[in-house]
Amino acid sequence: MPSRRAILAGLAAATALPRAGWADAGAPSHVTAALDKSGAFALYGLRPDGALAFRVPLPARGHAAAVHPTAPEAVAFARRPGTFALVLDCQSGAVLGELTSPPGRHFYGHGAFSRDGTRLYTTENIVDTGEGRISIWSRSEGYRRIGDFPSGGIGPHEVIRIPGTTRLAIANGGIRTHPATGRDKLNLDTMRPNLTIAAEDGTHLDTAGVPDAMHQNSLRHITARADGLVACAFQWQGDAFDSPTLLALYRAGQGLDFIPFDDAVTRQMVGYAGSVALSSDGTGLAVTSPRGGLVVSVDIATRASTIARRPDICGVAPGSDAIIATDGLGQVHRLSDRLQPLASHPLAFDNHLVAI
Amino acid sequence: MRLTLAALALCLPTAALSDVARAVESEILPGFERFATATAALDTAAQASCTGPELEAAYNDAFDAWIGVSHVVFGPIEDQGLTLSFAYWPDPKNQTGKTLGRLIADEDPVAADPATYGDVSVAAQGFFALERMLYEPPGTGDYACTLTQAIAATLAANAASVTTAWSDFAGVVTSAGADGNTRFKSDEEARRAIYTALSTGLEFIHDQRLARPLGTFDRPRPTRAEARRSGRSLRNVTEALRALQALSVAFSDDPTPNLDAAYERAFTRIAAIDSPDFSGVSNPGQRLRIEALQVDVKEIQIETINEIGAAMGLSAGFNALDGD
Repeated sequence: MPSRRAILAGLAAATALPRAGWADAGAPSHVTAALDKSGAFALYGLRPDGALAFRVPLPARGHAAAVHPTAPEAVAFARRPGTFALVLDCQSGAVLGELTSPPGRHFYGHGAFSRDGTRLYTTENIVDTGEGRISIWSRSEGYRRIGDFPSGGIGPHEVIRIPGTTRLAIANGGIRTHPATGRDKLNLDTMRPNLTIAAEDGTHLDTAGVPDAMHQNSLRHITARADGLVACAFQWQGDAFDSPTLLALYRAGQGLDFIPFDDAVTRQMVGYAGSVALSSDGTGLAVTSPRGGLVVSVDIATRASTIARRPDICGVAPGSDAIIATDGLGQVHRLSDRLQPLASHPLAFDNHLVAI
Repeated sequence: MRLTLAALALCLPTAALSDVARAVESEILPGFERFATATAALDTAAQASCTGPELEAAYNDAFDAWIGVSHVVFGPIEDQGLTLSFAYWPDPKNQTGKTLGRLIADEDPVAADPATYGDVSVAAQGFFALERMLYEPPGTGDYACTLTQAIAATLAANAASVTTAWSDFAGVVTSAGADGNTRFKSDEEARRAIYTALSTGLEFIHDQRLARPLGTFDRPRPTRAEARRSGRSLRNVTEALRALQALSVAFSDDPTPNLDAAYERAFTRIAAIDSPDFSGVSNPGQRLRIEALQVDVKEIQIETINEIGAAMGLSAGFNALDGD
């Protein structure tokens, strides 16, 4: 009887080259970083039923991952202000390469691939000046860094590609930090967050800033629909009991359209939205508040919202017929009109769940 | 045989009670009963007279009872969406003052019907709305009296509602992990809910009740003190610490010597603070003591993590604390 290793090796040989698809990695539908009970950090693949598809060890706490559009390859980022990102083969668990942020810079924990999958974009901070930059890395050259361009603001946190397009959306959080002072926020009085839309070559196409009255609403996490709608989740830096709404929708040339929630819901979010996801049909979205232990579902057409509660819920991503959510207690949920448990693991799922 | 049975009978009531059941049955349920009774008395007092010392005494009793359960938001309070209806604070935009002012200016007829007063903005409901009406009334006369009575009646009705719901919900909590219990799928989930009530209750004392009025040394913020109008700022801290300590004792399986000592230090400190409304944050001598109390509360938070959370294998939220 052949060993498991031999079977896996055979499978890999049979299917890996030259263009292995995602189905080969145990058919995962999502990836997420997590902490296990022994204190080890890893990147996990999740199947549509919530079962674990693969596990790839990480050297430190992860944050999010950029998933290649076609190959079973993901780039997992260290948590801010990390300086490493690992390129992982999600079939074999092999580390294919490592990205290190350029000297004098650090990553923010997010990245995105170009439409054709040949380039990776990463959000970075130039420590000395606080300027936000997007680096470009060439996949075919072993992720060699081939250039960069301005992110359009300070503290670029998440970069995504608008599906089906060659346009990038960049969430400039507006907050300056310096590794010497950890996560201390150095410019709360003057911060100016914005959403910047850029072409894959770095040309800026549009910028949508937050209104003056809520300039401390830090844009952190975004997700986009193929028609260019970008859902934006914020983290309020002022008094949590004076928090404005933490969700806005961007449409090209129309700026940010803030979606109000009930006062009681906004207060329970404690000024902090963790993740945001659109449903796969694009009609709804979910925004999580791990501090409030709740997820708000929004119907985009009517702007009506409903809440469901679960302690430490944070990761959300589209699933085939409903949004999938993960929490710090190891639960995977399907979000319909309520949270339905899909699977439970002895893990603490990290902030972000990424759909493949 | 007889002896064995007797011994069993003696042992069972305590030995069979889990940490969760002890917390629910010896603290949470009696706390809600007290809350319902005290708010009913407050309502009775308000209907008898919408101002005066008797109403104020009933108000203070009811507020004490609320502080006794205000950290137990999981379950009926949250399910019925009543957290803010009981206590709308902090209120940095003065929503309570503005909303009450508007109701009074318009003589809004909504106050005439206590059955529907619960539909008005939560900022005009609960203990902080009533505090305004009693201690810094934005208006007087018949309408203000009607408004006071409506707030008291709604408060009592809401308190009765969550208390009734708790008598069922208690069974849901104590049957955590049983087949068909979709709310608490394991003992750990129920334990976590109670532990979260403890830790967020302590955090609220430290970060809101104490930190808001303290502000900074150069800029103390006495008008940000909770319930300063009724002179209850310090009393709320004291009552909250008492309730949280009692819940900790009921909940914990093991002795908690460091936690006990930390609570004692805080109570000793409180006895030395002569500023019921925390206006003393602007006075260097009093300020020092209030700052020291905040440090004591931090110690309680730390020992709660060490002696209760860690002992039960519970930690605070992985993502909730991440801040990214």
